[in-house]
Amino acid sequence: MHMADALLAPAVAATMYVSSGTTACISVKKLTEDENTQKLPTMAVASALVFAGQMINYTIPGTGSSGHMCGGMLLSALLGPQAGFLSMICVLAIQCLFFADGGLMALGANIWNMAFYGCFAGYYLIWRPIMRSPVFGGMGAKKGQRARIILASIIGCIITLQMGAFSVVLETTLSGITELPFGAFCSLMLPIHLAIGLVEGLITAAVLTFVYETRPELIRGVDLSDEKAYSGKKSLATVIICLAIAAALVGGIFSHFASGNPDGLEWALFGNEEAGYSANMGLDEENFGVSSGVSEAAGAIQEKLSFLPDYAFADSESPMGTTVSGLVGSAMVAALALAICTAGHFFRKKTADSSLAS
Amino acid sequence: MIRFEDVTFAYEKGKPVLSAVSFEIGKGETVGLIGANGAGKSTVMKLLLGLAGPGAGAGSGSGAGNTKNTGSGRILVEGIEVLPKNLPQIRRKLGFVLQNSDNQMFMPTVFEDMMFGLLNYGMSRMEAERRVDEVLQDLGQEKLKYLYNHKISGGEKRMAAVATVLAMDPEVLLMDEPTSALDPYNRRIIIRTIGALKQTKIITSHDLDMIYDTCGRVILLSDGKIAADGPAEDILMDKKLLEANRMELPLRFATCV
Amino acid sequence: MNQNIERSIHDLREMDALASGDSMVHRVSAGAKLLVTVVYIGTVVSFAKLNMTGLLFMVLYPVLLFTVSGIPISTCFYKLRFVLPLVLFVGVFNPFFDRTPAFAIGSFTVTTGMISMVTLMMKGVFCLMASFLLMATTRIEALCGALRKIHMPQMLVTLLLLTFRYAAVMAEEVNVMTQAYSLRAPGQKGIHYTAWGSFLGQLLLRSMDRADELYSSMLLRGYHGEFYYAETKKRSSGDTLYAAIWCAAFLAARCVNLTQVLGMTVVR
Repeated sequence: MHMADALLAPAVAATMYVSSGTTACISVKKLTEDENTQKLPTMAVASALVFAGQMINYTIPGTGSSGHMCGGMLLSALLGPQAGFLSMICVLAIQCLFFADGGLMALGANIWNMAFYGCFAGYYLIWRPIMRSPVFGGMGAKKGQRARIILASIIGCIITLQMGAFSVVLETTLSGITELPFGAFCSLMLPIHLAIGLVEGLITAAVLTFVYETRPELIRGVDLSDEKAYSGKKSLATVIICLAIAAALVGGIFSHFASGNPDGLEWALFGNEEAGYSANMGLDEENFGVSSGVSEAAGAIQEKLSFLPDYAFADSESPMGTTVSGLVGSAMVAALALAICTAGHFFRKKTADSSLAS
Repeated sequence: MIRFEDVTFAYEKGKPVLSAVSFEIGKGETVGLIGANGAGKSTVMKLLLGLAGPGAGAGSGSGAGNTKNTGSGRILVEGIEVLPKNLPQIRRKLGFVLQNSDNQMFMPTVFEDMMFGLLNYGMSRMEAERRVDEVLQDLGQEKLKYLYNHKISGGEKRMAAVATVLAMDPEVLLMDEPTSALDPYNRRIIIRTIGALKQTKIITSHDLDMIYDTCGRVILLSDGKIAADGPAEDILMDKKLLEANRMELPLRFATCV
Repeated sequence: MNQNIERSIHDLREMDALASGDSMVHRVSAGAKLLVTVVYIGTVVSFAKLNMTGLLFMVLYPVLLFTVSGIPISTCFYKLRFVLPLVLFVGVFNPFFDRTPAFAIGSFTVTTGMISMVTLMMKGVFCLMASFLLMATTRIEALCGALRKIHMPQMLVTLLLLTFRYAAVMAEEVNVMTQAYSLRAPGQKGIHYTAWGSFLGQLLLRSMDRADELYSSMLLRGYHGEFYYAETKKRSSGDTLYAAIWCAAFLAARCVNLTQVLGMTVVR
C-alpha cells in the first residue's frame, strides 16, 4: 500500500503531511504529558520488531502463497494509539529512506493511510470498544477475552486496511495522476486489501493471543481483574453505529463515483473490454473528473494552486513545432547527461592514477 | 567503597534470590563474582545500580516484576545508600558493561554512543569529543569512532561497549560476562584491557580462567548466599568447594590434576 | 524466505557504507541536502502530466550527483528493482484510457496516454533516485540532527534514531529465527500458520525484555528525557549556496521548458 511520489500531486502530498504531522504532534504532546520516559525504548524496539516482522513470510494454509503484516493494529494494541502511531511513523520512515518503499514526499500520505487508520481508527473505533464489550462473555473470562482479542484483531485489520486502501484511491484520484477511473481503481484496490487485511488480522490475532497467554499485562485494554468485563454494553452499540456510518459513507461516496462514471463500474464488473471502452474513453477525457462533486472541488483547488499539473497539453497550438524541438532538446539533455558521466569517470580515473603514482 | 549489609531480596514473595548477603569491597580492588546460573550474580549488580530492589523507585529501569519486589538490608556506595533520591549521584560513580552489547549501545554509531552519557552529564560538546578521542586512544580503538554499531564485529562491539562506559570515567566498573561469546584473541584483548584499568572492578563471569587472570579476590555465590569470599587463588583452586556449588576448576588447574 | 531478510540486512549495510563515503556531496550539510531533495521531488511531481520534455531536463540533477558523489547508478537501480514495478503500476493503464493522438512519428501515432505514462514513470524514477541519493550521501545521525534543527519533536527524532539502530538488530534476530525454523521444516515456504503467534510472539516478548535492559542502560548514563545529537559539522555558506543554486535551477526548469529551449537553439 506504500504510495510512490509520482502518484501524488504536491498539494495532496502537502495536505497529507500536514494531517499526519498534526496527529504526530498531538501524540507527542499527549505522551510527553504522561511523562512516561520508559516508553521510548519500548516504542523503538516495538517498531523495530514490526519492521523485522514484515520480512517474515507467513504461509497461508491451502493457497501456497504467503502474507505479510503491516503492524498498525499490533502496535496500538501493545503501546496504545499515540505511541503506536509514532512507532509506525518510524517504521514507514525507515522503509522509505532505506528501502525506497514509498516516496519521501508521499511519506505523509503513507503515514496517514497506514499508521493513522491502523492506530487511531483501529484502536478507538474497534479495539477498545470490542475489548470492553460483553461479547463472548458467556465463554468464561479467559476464553472470552481471547475471543475478543481475535475478533478485534481481525475486524480491526480488515477495516483499517480498507480505510487505508480507500484513502490511497482517493489521494491518487485527487492528484489527477492516473487515467484509471475512480470506481475502477476502487474495485481494484479494495478486494485485494480485503484479503490482505484478513491475513494480517489473523497474524495479529495469533501474536496477540500468544502474548495474552504469556504476558497479558503487555496488551492494552485487557481486563486483568476479570471484574468489569460486563460493564460496557453501550460501547458495542457505539462501535456498530460507527461502523455503520463508516460503511454508509464509504459506500455512498463509492456509489456516487460509480454512478457518475458508468464506464468505470462497467470496467470493474466486466473487465477491461477494450473495444467498447476506448470509444468512450479516448474522446471525452474531460468527462471523468468533472461529473463528480469531489473532483469538481479538486478542480477548483487546482485552479487556485497553479503549482498543480494542468490537464491541457502544454503548447497545444503548435504541437508539431514543439515536438521537433522537444525531441532534439531531449537528445541534447541525454547527451549532456552522458557527458557528465564520462567526465566524472575520466576525472575519477585521473585522480586514482595520480594517487597511485604518488 | 561498596558495602552490602545483610541484603535480602526477592523478586516475588517467598522466592528469595539473595538472603543475608554481606560484603565490602575496597577502593582499587578487582573482585570476581562467580556462581552457578541463578545464584544471584546479576541481582547483586542490579541492586547496586538501583535497577531493582530498594533503590528502584519510580521511573527506574526494570520491568514488570518491579512492584512485587521485597527486600531488606542496606547497600552503600562510598557511604551513600542506594535509594531513589541518591541514584543520580551513585550512578555517576558506577559504570556498567552489559552482557549484551547491543542493548548497551543504542545510538547508531560508536561515537554518538560515547557522547550520549557525557552530554547527559552536562559536558560541553568539545570537551566530550576530546574525552571520547582520549578513551579510544587509550584503548587503541580509534578506528571504531565513526563505525555503525550494527556493522562492527562481536569483539569490536564489546570493546566499544567498554569504551562507552570508560568515557564517563566511573570510579567503579561493573562488568557482566565481559568475555562471553568472544574468540580467544578478543578475549585476550579484553583481559589485557581489564588488567590495565585502575578502577575498582566487579566482574561476573563463568569464565573462571579470565576471573583468575583479572581478579585478586573472588566471591562465590550459591543459592543467594555467599559460599566463599577470599583470594582468587584459594577459591579457584579449591576443587571441592567449586564442585559443591555447581562450578568446576579453571581449565588450567584441571589439566594439572 | 531467508534471502528476503538477508537482502534487507545487506541493503541497510550497503546504504551505511555508501553514506560513510567521502565526496563533495557527502560533505554538504544534511539540512541543505534534505531541502534540495524535497524541493527537487516537489518540482518533479508538479510537472504537467504531458510535459515530458520539460521533465526530462530534471534528469541532470541525479546524473550530476551520481557523478560527483561517485555512487554507482547501478547500485541505485539494483536496489530499486523491487519498488520500480509498483511505481509503474498505475501509469500502465494510461495508454488504454487516453487515446487522444498527440503527434505521429511516421505511421506510428503517439497518444497523449502514452506520453502521460512515460512522464509518470519518469517522475517515479526521478523521485526514487533523489531519495536514494539523499540517503546514500547522508548519515542517519546527521539527518536526525537536521530534523532536530527544523524543530521536529525530540521524541520522534529520538525514536527514529533508536528504531534505525534496532531495525538492524531485530532483522538479524528474525533472520536467525527463520533459519532455525526452516532447518527443522524443510520444504515449507514460510512460517506455518500454527506457529504464527508463537514465532513473532516469542520475538516480541524478548524484545520487551530488551527494551527494559536498554532503558536501564540509558538511565545508567544519565538519561533524563533529553537526547543530544553529536553533530560533527556546522552549516557553512557553501551549504547555503548549494541549496540556493539547486533550488533556483529546479524552479527555472519548472517554469521554462529548458529541454525545448535547448532544442530550439539547434532547430531554428
